[in-house]
Amino acid sequence: MRLNSEQNHIMLNAVIYICSFLLFWEWLRPLQEITDTGSVFIFIVYTAFCFFLSYMQLQWWITSPLKLIGLLFILDGLFIQEGFLSKAWIDYLVADLGLNIQAIVSQQWWEMTALFRSLLFLILLWLMSYLLYYWFVIAKRTLFFVVLTFIYITVIDTFTVYDGKYAVMRAFLLSMVVLGLTSFQRLLVQEKIFRLPKERYFSWLFPLIFFVVFSSFIGFIAPKFSPQWPDPVPFIKSTAEGVSGQGSGPGIRKVGYGENDEQLGGAFVQDETLVFTAAVDDAQYWKVETKDLYTGKGWIRSEEGTFVVNENGTVVLKDFVDTVEVEQKNAKIAFNDQELLPKIVYPYGLTNVDIQDPIQLHHFKFNTESGEVFTELISSGNTIRVTNYSVEFDQPTFSLKALREGHQDDPLDIQQKYTQLPESLPQRVRDLAVEIVEGEENRYDMAKAIESYLNVPSRFKYETDRVAVPTGEEDYVDQFLFETQVGYCDNFSTSMVVLLRSLDIPARWVKGFGPGEEVEGPNGETGYEVTNSNAHSWVEVYFPEIGWVPFEPTPGFFNPTDFTSGVDIEDLLNSEDPEEDIPVSEMEKPELTEEDETGSAKSGSGDSFLSKVNWKLMGLIGIFLVLVGYYVYRKRYLWLTWIKLRQYKNKSDVETFIKAYKFLLALLASRGMKLKSDQTLREFAYQIDRYMQTNDMRRLTHHYELILYRGDQENGQWKQMNELWEKLIKKIMS
Amino acid sequence: MTQQTYFYHPQAGKLVKNIQKVIIGKDEVTKLSIVALLAQGHVLLEDVPGVGKTMLVRSLAKSLNCEFKRIQFTPDLLPSDVTGVSIYNPKELNFEFRPGPILGNIVLADEINRTSPKTQSALLEGMEEKSITVDGVPVKLKQPFFVMATQNPIEYEGTYPLPEAQLDRFLLKLNMGYPTPQEEMEMLKRTSNVHPIDSIEPIMEKEELIVLQNQVNEIVISQAIQRYIVDIVTGTRNHPKVYLGASPRGSIALMKAAKAYALLHDRDYVLPDDVKYLAPFVLSHRIILTSEGKFEGKDEKTIVDEVLAQTKVPIDRG
Repeated sequence: MRLNSEQNHIMLNAVIYICSFLLFWEWLRPLQEITDTGSVFIFIVYTAFCFFLSYMQLQWWITSPLKLIGLLFILDGLFIQEGFLSKAWIDYLVADLGLNIQAIVSQQWWEMTALFRSLLFLILLWLMSYLLYYWFVIAKRTLFFVVLTFIYITVIDTFTVYDGKYAVMRAFLLSMVVLGLTSFQRLLVQEKIFRLPKERYFSWLFPLIFFVVFSSFIGFIAPKFSPQWPDPVPFIKSTAEGVSGQGSGPGIRKVGYGENDEQLGGAFVQDETLVFTAAVDDAQYWKVETKDLYTGKGWIRSEEGTFVVNENGTVVLKDFVDTVEVEQKNAKIAFNDQELLPKIVYPYGLTNVDIQDPIQLHHFKFNTESGEVFTELISSGNTIRVTNYSVEFDQPTFSLKALREGHQDDPLDIQQKYTQLPESLPQRVRDLAVEIVEGEENRYDMAKAIESYLNVPSRFKYETDRVAVPTGEEDYVDQFLFETQVGYCDNFSTSMVVLLRSLDIPARWVKGFGPGEEVEGPNGETGYEVTNSNAHSWVEVYFPEIGWVPFEPTPGFFNPTDFTSGVDIEDLLNSEDPEEDIPVSEMEKPELTEEDETGSAKSGSGDSFLSKVNWKLMGLIGIFLVLVGYYVYRKRYLWLTWIKLRQYKNKSDVETFIKAYKFLLALLASRGMKLKSDQTLREFAYQIDRYMQTNDMRRLTHHYELILYRGDQENGQWKQMNELWEKLIKKIMS
Repeated sequence: MTQQTYFYHPQAGKLVKNIQKVIIGKDEVTKLSIVALLAQGHVLLEDVPGVGKTMLVRSLAKSLNCEFKRIQFTPDLLPSDVTGVSIYNPKELNFEFRPGPILGNIVLADEINRTSPKTQSALLEGMEEKSITVDGVPVKLKQPFFVMATQNPIEYEGTYPLPEAQLDRFLLKLNMGYPTPQEEMEMLKRTSNVHPIDSIEPIMEKEELIVLQNQVNEIVISQAIQRYIVDIVTGTRNHPKVYLGASPRGSIALMKAAKAYALLHDRDYVLPDDVKYLAPFVLSHRIILTSEGKFEGKDEKTIVDEVLAQTKVPIDRG
């Protein structure tokens, strides 16, 4: 069967209009999810009905009643109990309309009934069918609606719970088809082609289908950027919930010290509110507590432990043995009244706490296992939050020698409590730990290896937003180490603890604050301002002969604890190993980079080159190169012209003229103006001149004819010819 | 054909314009008649009576200040009516040659297919040989010598169609056709008072025409175009619907006509356009279609057009 061109036009229009309907459908889809619209399906059916009637192009006095009846029928089905178009039915409708008009007049918008809102919505759909018919079929201006649709979908996807992933894909396919077909139709109109054989339609449709499929395929398999902005939906949700007072579940939290660590992960908003200032001459970790049981999602305590009550302020929380070299110090801590904590914040080696200006009698209740220190009123036993207090502490300096050389037989209770891991921990975490510490012999070096492994910004990215929350069976550490590689201190510290424990090294998770920002006090003494942003978590590793030693795996943070090489001066002088020369305060940046390099070199040499080649990527690059090559070939006249213009510029001989003229013919052919084999040059020149509204081609051709048919060798007008030629070339290219 | 602006040779152009004073609208026929004249060829006009064939020839003759003769061919016309006869002069006691109309410069052979082949061949021999034999004595024809023969394509009853070999003698075969209504109105206007043929003046002497005819031979025709001509003529021979293609004489005719056409347009070299334009006029009466071709409704002209469409125009040297 051979379709005539009119039928083809009708079919094209039908396809375009159906696509417009499907695009419009994408506008209706999210309504169910993001508004309280029910029965979206009925609205879609009504839209289809309106689109169909618009397409049929019947007289308005036929379509309008039909659409109106459809509209009333839907209202009847949804809202009105009475028999369709009965007296009671009409009364109900009129009454409802009256009510709503009153509401509108008095601007009581929220009093509008669902029936009236549905009525307005149906009328909108009705109008849209007209508008889209005009845009798509009459005016053939589809881009605007397509762009609007994309904006709509992306905005709805970004700011609401609606997932526009497939909507965007569908809209992309539809819009490609629509844009391709309408531009074809516009071309037909523009070129005044009213009859076109069927085959010609296919010669347009095939490339169109090919490109739609091809670009969709590329779009589908190509790597995509992860979202460049944090997803605002959780924030909006949490805000909305905050407003409605039903907050639950992980949303965006404000950074700061919190009690509950059962579910780690999620984004943080930085908060620079001052928590306390500490008058102390040295940077310290401000410890609050430790936790021992990793659940796979976060941290809890396996037992509450025993609390010691001490009334005279002597709170000894030294987690290291007496042989460790110490320096007696004190610090004055002043809290921001708005940010008081229920627990005492203290540096390592705490020996005494003294509350200034005590209001009432109090004592301290502390737990040597978890490191928590509460202040309680003796009278009532209630915990109070203290604003100002001073602490005395023995600031430790750990000897690297002792750390490295000590034995590794842990007491049984420590071993049991601080190496426990959930059964669900994936094996690959354990394998990674083994891999990282390969070649390390003692506990300290192993811990350092893991610390260094994590403390590489190129491997793990420090970030407070866009941090995943493990769901379902996912393990918090596994997700961070192998999937996201993006996180903040909790990710790093928990990962280090888990990695260490998987090697049976006792380790625990410490919460508190980082050292804060150094400031100068009124009398010139050093102090530190600690804000909510300084809330931090780090790692303590147990060494049998020493105690708990802090480690810092988070990039960008440093461990304020002092370490010394622990060798004599003489040994030092004789030492050939420069690495162990200096007493190190553990902020060895050079060491880090060195580790980084060796680390990456190691992983690089592990795989053969071929296995690392990303074949998919290579394929894409290949396709890209082929396309580029094809493009360069297709556009060859653009750059060839540029070359030829310069090449022929100052030459004046017959051969050049012939070449130049031939190039002109080829250029014209590439622009669809091909010299037919039975066409004479003069006929062709006339055709070109008529098309370009000049007579240059005829003038140039006349000279070519003289050379060709009369055998002229000399021509006094080379310069003129060159100008003519250049003018023509430029005109063609434009 | 595309509407290109052509410049005429100064003298030949005047000739065209002079004739156009009399013949309204038939520019192509006028031009081609002059081409045939310049190429020393002859024209076969195939058309119904009353469209201005005679006027064309007469105005041509008058413009050239040449002797115009007309032969009205009838079935009973004898060869001697064409060539002339020797009549015994009793006073002089000898035979005196009374020259026939063929001994004019410009001869109109009206309805040439109405006469017997014998009479036809008397004319055609003269056209080819440029001389005739009367009573065994060769008589040279006048120079310039131009025959315009006409035949009526409508009536076949009592006609003797020209054999193909004789059609070959005509350089061009033209169709006059009816004038457009506007042209006919103009014609009425011009002839209402004095016939314009009476008002035109000679603008060229016979000798000048001969010089022009000799100049045609000097027109440059490149190898490529010669090849183009041969390709076209060969094409007529190879066309599936052609029973007999154009002869080498057709090639020569096409070349001569093309040269004359170039001269008429004040060019000293031949363009493929000239060849392409002239080919239907030069070749269509030189080919015979197969009965199948005729049955399909093709005529010689469409065949030549088809051949032209398949022949590559030379756009390279050599």
